[in-house]
Amino acid sequence: MANTTNPGLRACTQGISIPGDTAHLPGDSSIWVFVIGEMVTFSCYFAAYLFDHRQLHDVFLQSQGYLSPNLGALNTLVLLTSSLFVALSVHATRAGDSGVAARFVGLGGACGAGFACIKGVEWHSELAKGFTLGTNKFFMHYYMLTGVHLFHVLLGLVFLGIMWRELSGPGSPRVRLVETGATYWHMVDFLWIIIFPLLYLLR
Amino acid sequence: MTDTPAMAAPAIQAPDLTRTKNLDQWICWWSIPVFYNLFGIVFVYLARLMPPPSPGLTTDQIIHFIRSNATHLQIAIVTLSLSLGLASLSSGIIVVQMRRMKGAGPALAYAYLAALAVAALPGCLFCGLMFALAAFRPDRDPALVVLLYDMGLLSFVGSLGCFIVQYMVFAIAIFLDEREIFPKWLGYMSIWGVVTELLAIPIWIFRSGPYAWNGLISFYLGTIIFVVWEFCLVVSLYKAIKTQPSQEVLA
Amino acid sequence: MNTTDQRICLWLVPGFGALLMLAFCIFPGFFPPLSPTLSAEEVATFYRNNVGPIRASMLICNVCGVAFIPFFMVIVVQMQRMANPSRAFAYSYLSAAASGATLFALADLAWLIAAFRPERDPQLTMLLNDLAWMAFVTPVGFILAQNLSLALGIYMDAQPRPVFPRWVGHFNIAAALLMTPGAFALMFMTGPLAWDGALAFWLRVGSYALYLAVMFFVVRAAIDRQAVEEGATA
Repeated sequence: MANTTNPGLRACTQGISIPGDTAHLPGDSSIWVFVIGEMVTFSCYFAAYLFDHRQLHDVFLQSQGYLSPNLGALNTLVLLTSSLFVALSVHATRAGDSGVAARFVGLGGACGAGFACIKGVEWHSELAKGFTLGTNKFFMHYYMLTGVHLFHVLLGLVFLGIMWRELSGPGSPRVRLVETGATYWHMVDFLWIIIFPLLYLLR
Repeated sequence: MTDTPAMAAPAIQAPDLTRTKNLDQWICWWSIPVFYNLFGIVFVYLARLMPPPSPGLTTDQIIHFIRSNATHLQIAIVTLSLSLGLASLSSGIIVVQMRRMKGAGPALAYAYLAALAVAALPGCLFCGLMFALAAFRPDRDPALVVLLYDMGLLSFVGSLGCFIVQYMVFAIAIFLDEREIFPKWLGYMSIWGVVTELLAIPIWIFRSGPYAWNGLISFYLGTIIFVVWEFCLVVSLYKAIKTQPSQEVLA
Repeated sequence: MNTTDQRICLWLVPGFGALLMLAFCIFPGFFPPLSPTLSAEEVATFYRNNVGPIRASMLICNVCGVAFIPFFMVIVVQMQRMANPSRAFAYSYLSAAASGATLFALADLAWLIAAFRPERDPQLTMLLNDLAWMAFVTPVGFILAQNLSLALGIYMDAQPRPVFPRWVGHFNIAAALLMTPGAFALMFMTGPLAWDGALAFWLRVGSYALYLAVMFFVVRAAIDRQAVEEGATA
């Protein structure tokens, strides 16, 4: 079986056998180190943005007017939906239903890809209007925050792909692995929920 | 289940050293803290290039920075010239440990070595050469001194790809590794390393603010994450060497 | 194991080495070495008057400069035959050799660029000339690391017939130490430590040439021994 040939991950597969066993931290502990670290570093980016927002309030307000809050809101919806699918897939995995779980991961990934496409459309329209990374401090923060977030989304798509492979492959899937990927994806969603109002809505 | 040796035995067996076991790996391991302490003395204390002076300085301020610091700058770069080779020893030990991994092939280890071998000049020594040139002639045309200043600090903070590759192959290898030679969280930290390089992209555009080459995010946050990562790497390497099974044949 | 590939890499040394010696003799700035104390005008004049030989010699260096890498890789292969606890030193040797080669390439580029438009502003030509000399003379750290890795590997090669005799280790360290004065050239404009000085230039270049020559024979002997020990046909 796939599990027993992975001595290094044996410790991580102990949550596998009992459906409905929820008394453990989802995913392996290292992903939480990562998540907390990411929160801390993103807080630094947010702090820098808020500082400049205060200093250059008029510029920021005016530049913000060129963004498309509709596309931003749409993206928020898309990402929330993808998180829902991913959460459903974890639930299905724990219940032993890996076929259903794999489908949910696929749907979550499709939404994630959709997010990236919408982001691309949004950037394209702003670049076409002449707003680049160097235009002013607002757009510097805008492109950097959404850009770094997009990197995390793309990385998340890779993780979702690994989860999908795990779920559609032969043998029973490792619950911990699926939970780890899901934790990462929820973190990416959570970050966007802060970025969206900061950039698009904050006056 | 016992750990099986990672490689088939080569023609010559590792002899039973009666002195320190794995002495070669320990020598290479020690080179890392030695090198980084020297690096700190060179760049922070002597050359005063970390944290870097601002890209927004005027020509006169740049000239003043160089001239008032000239001797220390020169001593710093002589030291750098003599000691940068130590970084090669760290590549050696990391390749040995990466080759012990099961599930992650040697290509990733060699890629790590090659990426850092590339990084040595554009990412480090080039900066030293630029400031050495700036300090060498007091009567050099000020516009050229500004050019050297830009070339030095832009290359130092802004050499991105070689380090992205280094972090990336390291992270991939850790995630694929079934023997957990390095802990998984170090792989995640290496992803942060990639992000810090991405965050340095704007230094090529901005002369002030958090994303300039001396900026809060592009420099300070990036450097802090790098220092933490390096520290964790040194500790993880220590554990990896210490817990090697003695009968394991190393490649 | 067939040692043909190693022998080919080995013989690249005298082949390309001869060409590099030729380039060294053609370059008008080595006999005697250009002084750092020359003014920008004098440097510009030097480039204007010697465009042909500068380009010829530096183009040879451009083509031949990295040609010792295969030889260094033969040494890496030989180091992997040593009875060391691991191959850490072999890998660090490889890394140092690769990094060191980039500096030589940079110096060569700077000389060629300076000679490309001799009518350039003399201050710019002087800057390029400074860069070339500094990149050529001062970065000794990688040679140090290379030679140190090899020496340590030799000292720890615990087998009845080591790949290299112990004196080769001493020789590597001595050669590297003789080249270290070069690093100080970025501080001095006159004297033995300046880039045209006896220590930083002549001792450095001379010891490196001698080092390569000696190592050629040492490595050749090691390959021969390997062929005998492993019963190779080449």
